[in-house]
Amino acid sequence: MLLSVQNLHKTFGSVAALSGVEFALNAGEFVSVIGPSGAGKTTLMRVINGAVAPDAGEVLLSGASLTAARGRAKRRLQAGIGTVYQDFALVETVSCRQNVLTACLPDMAFFPAVCGAYGKDRRDEAAALLDRVGLSDKTDAPVKTLSGGQKQRVSIARALMRRPDLLLADEPVASLDPVTGQQILALLRDIQQTRGLTVLMNSHNVEFSKIFSDRIIGLASGQVVFDGPPAALTDAVLAAIYGSPEAQP
Amino acid sequence: MTRAGKKRLAGAALVLLLLLAAAWVTDCDPALLWARRGHLTDLTGAMFPPDWGFFPKLAAPLWATFQMSVTGTVLGAALALPAAPLCAGSFHAPAVLRHILRAIIQITRSFPALILALMATFLFGLGTFAGTVALTVYTFAIMTRLTYEDIEAAPLSAYRALRAMGAAPAPAYFRAVVPAIAPSYLSNGLYLLETNVRHSAILGYVGAGGIGLLLNEKMSWLEYGKVGMILLSLFAVTCVIETVNGALTRMVREEQSLPPFAKRGLLFTGAVLFTVCAVTAAPPDVSHTSAQMVRSLLSDFVRPDWGFFFDLSAAGLGWLLLETAAIALAGTCAGTVLALPLAFLSAGRLVPRPVAGLFRVVIMAVRSVPFLIYGLIFIRATGPGAFTGALTLAVCSVGLLSKRFLEAIDALDFRAYHALASMGVPPLLRVRHAVLPQLAPILASAVLYRFDVNLREAAVLGLVGAGGIGAPLIFAMNQYDWSTASSICLGLILLVWAVDGLSGKLRKKLDI
Repeated sequence: MLLSVQNLHKTFGSVAALSGVEFALNAGEFVSVIGPSGAGKTTLMRVINGAVAPDAGEVLLSGASLTAARGRAKRRLQAGIGTVYQDFALVETVSCRQNVLTACLPDMAFFPAVCGAYGKDRRDEAAALLDRVGLSDKTDAPVKTLSGGQKQRVSIARALMRRPDLLLADEPVASLDPVTGQQILALLRDIQQTRGLTVLMNSHNVEFSKIFSDRIIGLASGQVVFDGPPAALTDAVLAAIYGSPEAQP
Repeated sequence: MTRAGKKRLAGAALVLLLLLAAAWVTDCDPALLWARRGHLTDLTGAMFPPDWGFFPKLAAPLWATFQMSVTGTVLGAALALPAAPLCAGSFHAPAVLRHILRAIIQITRSFPALILALMATFLFGLGTFAGTVALTVYTFAIMTRLTYEDIEAAPLSAYRALRAMGAAPAPAYFRAVVPAIAPSYLSNGLYLLETNVRHSAILGYVGAGGIGLLLNEKMSWLEYGKVGMILLSLFAVTCVIETVNGALTRMVREEQSLPPFAKRGLLFTGAVLFTVCAVTAAPPDVSHTSAQMVRSLLSDFVRPDWGFFFDLSAAGLGWLLLETAAIALAGTCAGTVLALPLAFLSAGRLVPRPVAGLFRVVIMAVRSVPFLIYGLIFIRATGPGAFTGALTLAVCSVGLLSKRFLEAIDALDFRAYHALASMGVPPLLRVRHAVLPQLAPILASAVLYRFDVNLREAAVLGLVGAGGIGAPLIFAMNQYDWSTASSICLGLILLVWAVDGLSGKLRKKLDI
């Protein structure tokens, strides 16, 4: 088991974002988390990648607890997770390659890391990854000159540069148009299958999730209300996740 | 190493070389400053506690200072509005007119407000009228430039639509283009009002009225308690104006929803303030102006002293201009080094609020003191010369630079920073790779802009003996030696024009 999430609780003020979330991911799965806005999807991602500490519960990565780890040990565990964000979270003023290379910083000695002396091997690898995501002609272009879809491709390349076991994608296509969104998900799926990667994706788009995932987890009010294959996602289940049928996306 | 890396290294080496050259030209000697540091504090110490009893006598000159800046800013900005479209390339004004207007603006922009004020005193006599004229011309030049750049960047589709429907150019411009550039125009105007208050506080040095006259007098009579009182009241005025200005600028930029009556009330208050300032302004004193003098001024001015202009020795124009540029460069560099930590310490996002507030007050205090006062303080430690000029400009640059740096820090996007954190990157490396790349272009742009300003300020440092082109220029003007003054002005225009071109190229190259 690659990732195990056990009884996660997290409240912000009086709002319970997560209340007792539990599931596990096997290596090589593509899993979508669906649910209405405010169901706790983004909080779940942030707890799993260690950006937010849960109030209770545990996140285990290949058996090691991320929630209990501190400092250097925590950073070492975090280094095994790649994350793709809805708003890309790139440094806009530097080139695509520089952005991808920032993923190497955790493995580098202090001075080369500060100077940005990544070395030829890493630079070549970054270029190869940018080629893989279809941006071979944009390697040294500043990120601010790219379109939204292209930015998301850079963000995916950055996540892959970590050579992660687990890739988290927090609504990776929510800020893109439908056609670009489908292209990005197809790319993600393709990479997942060729690399044997495990992907956990938050999604607002049930149709896309059905097409691209092996398994779907339904989250409502901070609780898991569905966990099964896309085929089992009936209208009744969707109603349970999203409330009334009108509220469905 | 990659090609980009090599280029960057070469750029850094060039900048370092330029700085070393500037340090050599200005005789930079930090050891001297350190050895005589005691002299920096004795003058400051003599100013405090200030002479409180002097305060009632300050009201009138403070009002005159304020009056000059308000009248000058409003008139200059208003004149810029019709002039700007004539300069903008996107409107089809006659090319000859456009080039002539642009040249006039470029030439006017080459002179610091103080030199303009000195020229105005020859035509309109001593007093606030000359100061007002100088500030009007100064504001007009800068506002026209900023506004036509805005116009060139603004979309003109609405203007073209109105023209296609048969509207005349002027109404179409005022209805379709002016509303689009209004936020930027108003906030530029407010910013200039702020700088003009600072400028008008020293115009008295050349007899152009305001509190500078008093400051000069008390400084030369060694009445430091009174000087302290003047500085304190200037600080208070600066605080009030910056606070009001900050609120107004936010309102203009973010279009804070104000009820219509409040908007009208604000406009009415502004109009009343301007009318009071303009109506109560002192008339010009032309009793000392004769047609003969104006005639000799004009006829000599078109005959520059070419011998001095092409003199390559240390007493020639070339060396003086080089020294001026070196003072500006060294001052800007030292100012940047001082401003960076101050900006970080005054950023409420990074340090506790009380600490940030304290440092903001310190920055405001540094900004409120007229730069000639810093010149006079440093001269006691390092003696007359270019080094003193560089030190003065360094302290003067702190205000603007730390303000710009602070704005950059406040606008930082922390998403990439958090993304790196979740990948396990340690904090210092996150700052290096996710924060600094965002700040660098804004910092570079602010430093370039300040260098531009410092170049003009360096041209008046000579007034207090702090080196550069200022002393010979003011001396020549006071001697009515117009052909020498004219060759110095020509040199200054060329220098500013060259630096403008260079910094434009650099901006394009760095994409800032």
